[in-house]
Amino acid sequence: MKKKVISLLLSLAMIGSLAGCSGGSEESASGDAASSDLPYAGEEISILWVSNSTMDGINALIDAAEAKLGLTVNLEQVPGGEDGDNVVKTRLASGDMADLLSYNCGALLSSLNPSEYFEDLTADYADKLDENFVNAASSDGVLYGIPATASQAGAVLYNVEMYEEYGLEVPKTWDEFLANCEVLKEAGETAVLGTDADSWTSQVTYLGDHYNVLAEDPTFAEEFEAGQAKYASTPAGLESFQKIADIVPYMNEDHMATTYDDGCDIMMEDGAAHWIILTSALSNIYELYGDEVNRLGCFGVPGDDAENAGLTVWEPNAIYMNKNTEKADAVKAFMDFYISTEGLDALAAAEPPCGPYCVKGYELPEDAYTAVKDMQTYFDAGLTNVALEFQTAVKGSNCASICQELASGQTTPEEAAAKYDEDCEKQAVQLGLDW
Amino acid sequence: MDKKKIYSKWFLVPSMTVFTVMFVIPLILSLFFSLTVWNFDGFTFCGIDNFIMFFEEQSLRIGIKNTLIYAVLTSGLKLIISFFIALFLTSNIRTKTLQRSIVFFPNLVSTVAVGVVFTALMHPSKGLINKGLEMIGIAGPDWLGNPDIALFSVIAVDVWKGLSIATVIFIAGFMSIDKTYYEAAMIDGANFWQKVRYVTVPLARSSMNSVIILSFIGGLRSFDLIWAMTGGGPGFATDVMASIVYKQYAAGYYGLSTAGNVIMFVLIAILAFPLQKWLLSKEVE
Repeated sequence: MKKKVISLLLSLAMIGSLAGCSGGSEESASGDAASSDLPYAGEEISILWVSNSTMDGINALIDAAEAKLGLTVNLEQVPGGEDGDNVVKTRLASGDMADLLSYNCGALLSSLNPSEYFEDLTADYADKLDENFVNAASSDGVLYGIPATASQAGAVLYNVEMYEEYGLEVPKTWDEFLANCEVLKEAGETAVLGTDADSWTSQVTYLGDHYNVLAEDPTFAEEFEAGQAKYASTPAGLESFQKIADIVPYMNEDHMATTYDDGCDIMMEDGAAHWIILTSALSNIYELYGDEVNRLGCFGVPGDDAENAGLTVWEPNAIYMNKNTEKADAVKAFMDFYISTEGLDALAAAEPPCGPYCVKGYELPEDAYTAVKDMQTYFDAGLTNVALEFQTAVKGSNCASICQELASGQTTPEEAAAKYDEDCEKQAVQLGLDW
Repeated sequence: MDKKKIYSKWFLVPSMTVFTVMFVIPLILSLFFSLTVWNFDGFTFCGIDNFIMFFEEQSLRIGIKNTLIYAVLTSGLKLIISFFIALFLTSNIRTKTLQRSIVFFPNLVSTVAVGVVFTALMHPSKGLINKGLEMIGIAGPDWLGNPDIALFSVIAVDVWKGLSIATVIFIAGFMSIDKTYYEAAMIDGANFWQKVRYVTVPLARSSMNSVIILSFIGGLRSFDLIWAMTGGGPGFATDVMASIVYKQYAAGYYGLSTAGNVIMFVLIAILAFPLQKWLLSKEVE
């Protein structure tokens, strides 16, 4: 009896696999027939995509590119952060990198030793892209990447309805911001959402304050890289760490156990008034709650000068071309398509941007998020600057942990700033800088 | 011809080759690279700077302290608790097999899964543990978010998960004790505790030593549970040597992380070898 059952199962499995085979071959045959007049029919390229954000945009863009060019794009995703860094570095070193890599630009790019692994794209794309982005995706004056998504900012997302309910105004200075928080706290609301269980979110307050550091000290980034300026001894720099400590009393009680994913829900459930976070959170919220994301507004991390209230902007991840790819033509064609109006439209339709794209001559769609329109006013007024990591390769690897430690009350802002200076020294040693 | 030399030494070649290529050469290389700042293209020699940095910088130094706390506490708690569980499970009870299986279950679950589940259970406002405490009127702490207790929360989970192996070793040890000893003790009028103290403990010494050594070394090099539960946080409060080495490597400080590995190797060696020697000297027979 047992044998009979097994043999029956085995024959079923055989039939099943046969059916599977024939189905597969039919599909590819019809694909070949349809794509015979497409320029890159049958070519296959691969992308390693290092990011934590949603994949709707890139998937839609790949569909559009496959339809137009006829090539097949294999997308492989790795989560960002330390684990992703490890994967990228290991695969580059072992010669196992995909044809294209989507990864951070700025400081992290130069830590990959780009001239050894990535194709020089200066001649092809430099004049088509936004200047701030070109600077960030370049190393030693050579451009290696095209923008993978829209830019974003490290800023304060706020609940517009709650602001109306309590008659609050968008704050122009840090003191006004704290005053608003006080009003909300008195009323029993959670004024500031803390999501310190994910340590990377703890550092956004410090990083997003960089506009104000530069406003007070325009040469800070160069002096910092040269090892002359330190956070602990620069008043504007110390202020950035002070701000992390300032907002802790206004945070949700369980902020040390609240994650970024929880945060997206809490903001939509009217559980908190402010959230200092990267505006890429808007995409995550949009994916979960749709158009309700428009209940959130956005303003930059406030500084001291009401006249000069600006926004700290993050350049998007860049897409780098593997120098050793065997399919250079197909890869280039895909990249051309990527930054064409057609490609960006596909991207924007599937995943509304969290900031402007860095491609010259392409305008934001009409139905952009409210918060992104708020951001646009900063861009229009010229009140933006890039985050520190796009100005110097020196970024301490423990930044997130140091900020999380500060938010948990284990250190004072002065200690945290001093610790961060020390942490950056390790990076400087690795980069061969003379500190 | 000497009888001991029946076999040619050439028989050693295959295993020695594997041992040299896979263990000896990497060991020497890592000792060398711990003295350099290197990346995948080259290196600069920097003496013992990496080691100095490891002992000077608070966020690195804390790992050594936490590793020792972690190893001593997990190994001690596992030893004591599993001893009594094993005692219970070898006594005359019903459903012995079922209960032994239940004790062993935590070991079948992947460590990362255990970490994720306990992170959820230990959530300060939504977690089951604090909800339960709330019902009996206690406001539970933030188990993993409070830097003073986060390490101990992870230790508790590690003990829960690691009990099974220690218990199994103890059960095997207890079963191998000859029944006649207990009979003799009974005739002498020994009560339960006296039997445990004077028969079970000395005769189960070798299994006790295995438990201590295994869990102590396991504690010294623990990583997965801590990484899944806290990622070394809040701040650096639960960072151990292994997680720090991992973080330094991920940040691209290869020389520094190699130095951390060397420190970890030395630490395990200078603690585990004397411990084993001492424990073996205490064994009877």
